[in-house]
Amino acid sequence: MKRLHVLLPMLLLLCVLLPVSAQGNKAEISDEVVLTMGSWRTDDVEQMNRLLNAYKKLAPKVTIKFQPTNPPDYNATLRLQLDSGTGPDLMYARSYAAGQELYNAGYFADCTDIPGLMENFSASNLAPWQMSDGTMFAVPFAAVSHAVYYNKDIFKKEGLSIPENWEAFLSLCDTLEKKGYTPLANGLADEWDILETFFFGLLPNYIGGADMRVKYESGELPLNDRNFVEAYQAMADVAQYCPDGFESVTYNDSQVLFNSQKAVMFVDGSWTAGVYKDAPFDWGLFAIPAPKGKSTAICFHPDMAITMNTATKHPEEARAFLAWLCSEEGATTASQNLPSGYFPMIKFPIKLEDPHANEFLSLNAGRKTDARFVWPKLMNLYAPMNQAVIKVMKGDISAKQAADSVQALM
Amino acid sequence: MRIKHSRHFPWLLYLAPALLVYTVFMAFPLIDSLRLSLFSGNNQVTRVFVGLDNFKRLFTDPEISTRYWGAFFNTWKFFFVHFIVQNGLGIFFAVLLTQETMKGRQIYQTIIFIPTTFAVLITGYLWKLMLNPVWAGDFLVSIGLPFLKHPYLGDTNTALWAVSLVSCWQWLGIPTMMFVAALRNINVELLEAARLEGAGSVKTFWYIKLPLIKPIVGIVAVLTFVNNFNAFDIVFAMENVNGAPEYSTDLIGTLFYRYGIAGQHPIGIPDAGLGAAIATITFLLLMVLVIPTLRQTQRGA
Repeated sequence: MKRLHVLLPMLLLLCVLLPVSAQGNKAEISDEVVLTMGSWRTDDVEQMNRLLNAYKKLAPKVTIKFQPTNPPDYNATLRLQLDSGTGPDLMYARSYAAGQELYNAGYFADCTDIPGLMENFSASNLAPWQMSDGTMFAVPFAAVSHAVYYNKDIFKKEGLSIPENWEAFLSLCDTLEKKGYTPLANGLADEWDILETFFFGLLPNYIGGADMRVKYESGELPLNDRNFVEAYQAMADVAQYCPDGFESVTYNDSQVLFNSQKAVMFVDGSWTAGVYKDAPFDWGLFAIPAPKGKSTAICFHPDMAITMNTATKHPEEARAFLAWLCSEEGATTASQNLPSGYFPMIKFPIKLEDPHANEFLSLNAGRKTDARFVWPKLMNLYAPMNQAVIKVMKGDISAKQAADSVQALM
Repeated sequence: MRIKHSRHFPWLLYLAPALLVYTVFMAFPLIDSLRLSLFSGNNQVTRVFVGLDNFKRLFTDPEISTRYWGAFFNTWKFFFVHFIVQNGLGIFFAVLLTQETMKGRQIYQTIIFIPTTFAVLITGYLWKLMLNPVWAGDFLVSIGLPFLKHPYLGDTNTALWAVSLVSCWQWLGIPTMMFVAALRNINVELLEAARLEGAGSVKTFWYIKLPLIKPIVGIVAVLTFVNNFNAFDIVFAMENVNGAPEYSTDLIGTLFYRYGIAGQHPIGIPDAGLGAAIATITFLLLMVLVIPTLRQTQRGA
């Protein structure tokens, strides 16, 4: 009996210790280098693996493993990994504040002197991943756009045409509704989509491009001026053309409504284009039209960039990959492997194969473009603006009250 | 000496594995998260001791405190709906199911219990579709109930009630089963004696059955309280982590998730200290309310 008393705890202890010692170091023998790449694009594993395989042909000793995280968890997970020293060697970097924060924390490497970076991208495409002193913390990779998806078949059947201005857009919605269609698929339940795709999509029409946005950021213009009130009013005006019960329509519902031809138009981001690849009807795109007397501008948003970890064990290999992305050859390969709805940001003229992707890009021609309004400097206004848009669309507050509620927080 | 030794050591030995697991995986994280509420920063290196600053921010920062009190009162509403609807119906069904004259008891019991075996994400999603006029509206019109067509989950006046009732529907089986078990334990002689004395079923319930199952009522009340103050999943499944619409379904659980774990979309930088402060307050609140309840109802049990 007594011996058992000694034996049992020993056994228990052994059980605890065994897995610890078993984990010991697995020595790497070969000179092969394995880099990991963190990302929030879980949908793009196939495309990214194609891209990384193409790179492997150029650098046979370097294997890059794509390890994406669920999009809403990416920032938190990445932060946790970096904090605990288990971060990936290469990773996607968010634009503006979220990215700057990680550079300031010392996790993102200084990419400024990567060959080709400063030469091959325009200043406005560099800006989202640039510190105020001009230091670059990532290599720009892809942008997204926002527009109105429309069902060409129904437009043809009813003899409708693309509206020239916002007023025509509203009367188009009215016509569709009178004919028994649901004009717009957009809803409010998921909250982010109505703000990011619709409100930020039409905002450049009312306030202008990046040059005007800066004036709002500096406080030169208030966030409740006529332009803003008109923009909120526009949201209030379209509410009646959204589905019945749009208050509880989620982003997913919206996609299904458009895809099943229950709704004729859908204001959405370019990243959805792939969803309608196999749609049984013909669809097209037009820019969210500006009101009479203003010129249509596009919300073309810098979305993803790739950077390297300052703590990586293989800085040279990681840098070489980033430099390749800045070269014409690398950028072309990368662009051809981007999922539809993501657009290269490099200066070289790159031909995309997907017709809808080109349709999206053609909307930019001759127009001003800008990022989503709050991203560059006013991210703290994201949630208040989101709530203001929702309340305006529900008719709880007026457009003026919505604008005032946001300006009050400046 | 020898006798004492052999008497006391074995039970400690058998308890040791459970105690070890409990300490490492329950007690230590709990105490550590209480400690965490006094720090700011997200990792060991950048963590700074800030005293009660997280609590101060929670109650004085206009944005954070508005959200906290909103979530706090929503959680109470969420709990009361469960307490009254879920547990009330639980007792009601349990009394019916234990009636000797009841036929097809097994079938009803199964029907009531089945929803508890479903995943919350699935029931939440299905109810979300059923409560959505876009998908269910035509059906309601076709069966002649067009007035029921309403965006329940998108209306600030109805969203929290809808979510709470769906959760009640799902978990109704648990209190029902516990009450059934308790009622079956009541000595039949007692009930017969009451009947012979001329007590009707209402009187029997109030004066015989209810007092005898009081300990179970207490346990169920405590479980309802603890579970609902930590609720998160049903809101996550039916609305979103912001407690849409307009924070009207924001519970302490979702608030904690936003501040402490995921961070606010779209930047998504969590504030672990603030999250721990929210959790600490919830923990203290549960302690303060659960201990007297258990004392009250478990006396002599």
